[in-house]
Amino acid sequence: MSSRGSGNIRGRESVAGWLFTAPALIILGLFLALPVLMAAWVSVSDWRGQGSPFSSSVGFVGAENYRGILSEEGGLQTRDFGTALRNNFWYVVLVVPTQTALSLFLAVLVNKKALRGRGFFRTAFYFPSVTSSVAIVILFLFLFAGGGAVNRALSWVGINGPNWFADPRGVLHVILGVFGVDEAPGFLADNSLLSLSWWDWLAGPSIAMSALILLAVFTTSGTFMLLFIAALQNLSGEVQEAALLDGASGWQRFRYVTLPLVRPTLFTVLTLGLIGAWQVFDQIFVGTQGGPAKTTITPAYLSYTSSFLNNRWGQGAAIAFILFAIIVVLTVIQRWVLRERTTVPKRKRFVPADTAAVGSTR
Amino acid sequence: MTVAAQTLPASEAEERSSGDRQVQVTGGGRRAVLTTPLTYALLAVIAIIYIFPFLIQIATSFKTDSDAANNPVSLVPANWTTATYETLFGGGLDFPLWAMNSIIVTVCVTIGRVLFCSMAGYALARLHFRGRGVVYAGIIAVMAVPGVVLLIPKFLVVNQLGIYDTYAGMIVPLLVDAAGVFIMKNFFESIPVSVEEAARIDGAGVFRTFWSVVLPMARPAVITLVILAFQGSWNELSHFVVSAQDPDLYTLTKGVATLAAGGQGQAQQFPLKLGAAALMTIPVALMFFAFQRKIMSTAEGAEKG
Amino acid sequence: MTTRPRRHVQLALATTAALALAACGGGSFDDGGGEPEQQSGPAELSILIGSSGPAETDAVTAAAEAWSEESGNTATVTAAQDLNQQLSQGFAAGSPPDVFYVSSDLVASYAENGSIEPYAGDLSNADDFYPNLRDAFTVDGEFYCAPKDFSTLSLIINTDSWAAAGLTDDDVPTTWEELSAIAEQLTTAEQAGLTTSTEYQRLGAFMAQAGGSLVTDGEATANSPENVEALEYVQSVVDAGAWRFAADLDSGWAGEAFGTGRAAMTIEGNWMIGAMAADYPDINYQVAPLPEGPSGAGTLTFTNCWGIAAESANVEAAIELVEFLTSTDQQLEFASAFGVMPSVQSAADQWRTDNPDFVAFLDQAENAVAVPNQVGVSDVVADLNAQLEGLGSGDPQAILESAQSNLEAIL
Repeated sequence: MSSRGSGNIRGRESVAGWLFTAPALIILGLFLALPVLMAAWVSVSDWRGQGSPFSSSVGFVGAENYRGILSEEGGLQTRDFGTALRNNFWYVVLVVPTQTALSLFLAVLVNKKALRGRGFFRTAFYFPSVTSSVAIVILFLFLFAGGGAVNRALSWVGINGPNWFADPRGVLHVILGVFGVDEAPGFLADNSLLSLSWWDWLAGPSIAMSALILLAVFTTSGTFMLLFIAALQNLSGEVQEAALLDGASGWQRFRYVTLPLVRPTLFTVLTLGLIGAWQVFDQIFVGTQGGPAKTTITPAYLSYTSSFLNNRWGQGAAIAFILFAIIVVLTVIQRWVLRERTTVPKRKRFVPADTAAVGSTR
Repeated sequence: MTVAAQTLPASEAEERSSGDRQVQVTGGGRRAVLTTPLTYALLAVIAIIYIFPFLIQIATSFKTDSDAANNPVSLVPANWTTATYETLFGGGLDFPLWAMNSIIVTVCVTIGRVLFCSMAGYALARLHFRGRGVVYAGIIAVMAVPGVVLLIPKFLVVNQLGIYDTYAGMIVPLLVDAAGVFIMKNFFESIPVSVEEAARIDGAGVFRTFWSVVLPMARPAVITLVILAFQGSWNELSHFVVSAQDPDLYTLTKGVATLAAGGQGQAQQFPLKLGAAALMTIPVALMFFAFQRKIMSTAEGAEKG
Repeated sequence: MTTRPRRHVQLALATTAALALAACGGGSFDDGGGEPEQQSGPAELSILIGSSGPAETDAVTAAAEAWSEESGNTATVTAAQDLNQQLSQGFAAGSPPDVFYVSSDLVASYAENGSIEPYAGDLSNADDFYPNLRDAFTVDGEFYCAPKDFSTLSLIINTDSWAAAGLTDDDVPTTWEELSAIAEQLTTAEQAGLTTSTEYQRLGAFMAQAGGSLVTDGEATANSPENVEALEYVQSVVDAGAWRFAADLDSGWAGEAFGTGRAAMTIEGNWMIGAMAADYPDINYQVAPLPEGPSGAGTLTFTNCWGIAAESANVEAAIELVEFLTSTDQQLEFASAFGVMPSVQSAADQWRTDNPDFVAFLDQAENAVAVPNQVGVSDVVADLNAQLEGLGSGDPQAILESAQSNLEAIL
């Protein structure tokens, strides 16, 4: 193809290429790249939010802010950051695979040609996604109140539900408690990372965070379902039918026909999901403000409170950059994992890591 | 994880049974896959889980505070009251103003995003130019930047450009969304290159090819983008918090968030909050239903053709 | 042919760079040092308040208008959505409001970074403020800003539940033992005897009654036996089922639990007056001083001051405005509009006359201690509050030890 294009066409393409990308570049440059550079400076400065961060009275402090967050053993800021990472880690681990699998599942279900009321079901599943995060958080606070609708529903099946948004207990700790493990085994209590004991790291999401996890899955699955539907619509009916006539089972069709075709979308969904889940902020800001007992603070929210409410701008920016690094590293790893699988012979395994995990549960 | 583990085998069972039946039918034909009652039951249950909260929301907005607390599941208020809506429209709250601001911002942002994201996505997918790889890497990198890191510096830039506390300050920074570029690029890469090549060899300019050949082909992705952009700017909260503080520029998210935050000495007032939340959902829901039909017709058109 | 695309690349880059430069080129990235230039002639002042509601916003606006008329200046009032965040934004942009609310726990951090003007010692009514309120806004011996008003914590009692339990005015608890006994007596299947939130900003009153505090003379004393005793007392009443925390009663705050009848008593401040009138007008209640603990009477006080931005171009006019706003008459007007207590002692008698039902709040002013105001204490208190949420089943000693080590790190 490139050999076919004459110099003239290549030249025109270059101009067009830059013209086409210019609006995006200028706006992203001004309102994303430039602010990132400013924030980078703030993260290594002693700026306290007074006047311009570039004035001569603001000093360079090197890695001081980062040290305060990462390596001050027993320090409050270090423990807060550890807690925030712990909370957000469990959030991501539960939200990303769940929302991806659920949205793909819903997309496959409602994409059936013979399904009556397809429009209705799509609408129903997508509807939570159009609702503003502010509105949905208010709704969830109401539904998950101690005497709220969710607990009423649970009581019909004999379950005495927790007071969701006020319950700081970690889900894994609760489960271990059922088996009589109430106290941390010595080695878990004695070792710590970021001033948080291993036992606390293993708490799992708190019950309050679990409600936010459900909220995230509830609101994002519709959006991602749409992306999957768009991809499935590119998939011609003949391929499916050919597979059917071959006598392929539903699972086989899904695995060998549908899945490869939605792979680019799957990649998009996992990437967007991962990036989004590490940035969870609105729900905390509007809903829980980090409580109960700091079990819903996330790095993003901690960065906000450090800067805007406690005037520790340097640390706030440093937290944001560490978060940035986490997201980039995980995205790169994920990209690499997905790339790697394509070179494996099809028959053996081509299912991306997350879905493979889901598939292997059978 | 638990949801996924439960749902996928169910889909398999359902798909397998429908598949078996199809094989018995033989012959093929357009109406390929029959759907079993099991699928409908499953879909109905999920649909109820997805819809019921919103019914509760609407019902609760017509309840009194104590009724809401005592009968949270009931869809019929014990004693109907429109106090919520009277407060919203006549009780010193600028609800209509917030709504207008939200609409202005959302419409501008949606148009801008569709245009700019599809242009950039197309260029990155199809046009060969020096630096394309760098631009793409840059956009991917920018997409990974946590929005919160940008709150204050974004505010400094907006302030410096002299557009703080204006519609421009609220709109311009949102006009391009890196994720939108990413989606469009992915989409353009998935459609065959032959049609536009033909157009270009016929002598059509790059922009003309884009406008009259490529963009119409990209309709499903553009519709997705419109929905995401509309929803994204309608939902946006943090940017409006830092880019304006004039009460005349409050959007619904900002206004209702103020309402939700309450404050020292304020009760939870769930009917009021849920009423506001329900109202702010209406315009975006209407827009969504309009596009929902288009999605359906696009899909059916493709099937018939 | 190869030069053309490159030129366009350069053009595009140049455009981006130019815009970026335009963004950076303005004044606020220049050196911000030095004294701000003071304006002459009539001043235009902006006032940013963290308002409790329309009543407060209207009252402050009216006062600002009155001052504008009297002085020939203009003062405009804005009610903040999130005061701290909007202030941060103002300071970062180099355009803070001239006059604004500052809470006592943040005054030191604003003083430390030079954001606020230390003007209050020069006010003509400087000596009229309550000494403990002056202390709350004094950093390194400098009285930074004038307290605008204050609130204290009192015991709020639902009089109908009280009568239903057969209690009379003589039964109002004056000791911890009486408080727990009466809370148990008031507890029914539908109603907790007493409710509060779990935060230090409420339970700290019991620490004061036990003779403890988080910081004593600049030293961390969070793990003192007195503080442990206070929390153990709270825990004992909670264990007996007579004291339930607001979150466990499905309430956003204790006042809501009280107003909706889920609790018969609560411990809250002056803001209850407005909240009860607005949200729960049907509940009959009375206000009593908090009971005394092992070391006597004690409560907490909450206060904001009128901060003046050091960067303001109208510091002189701003000081005049604050003098007007903190004057005895003006404070009494605020008091009647939104329930707070004047920060000046000269208004006390009139306030008592105007608010006979609420004198308990003011009677406790002498015994009221403010939340410590050292830089960083607000973080420690936030962490303590997070741990206090687990007080029901937690170990008071361990909770306070952790607060102690956090405090030692910053003092």
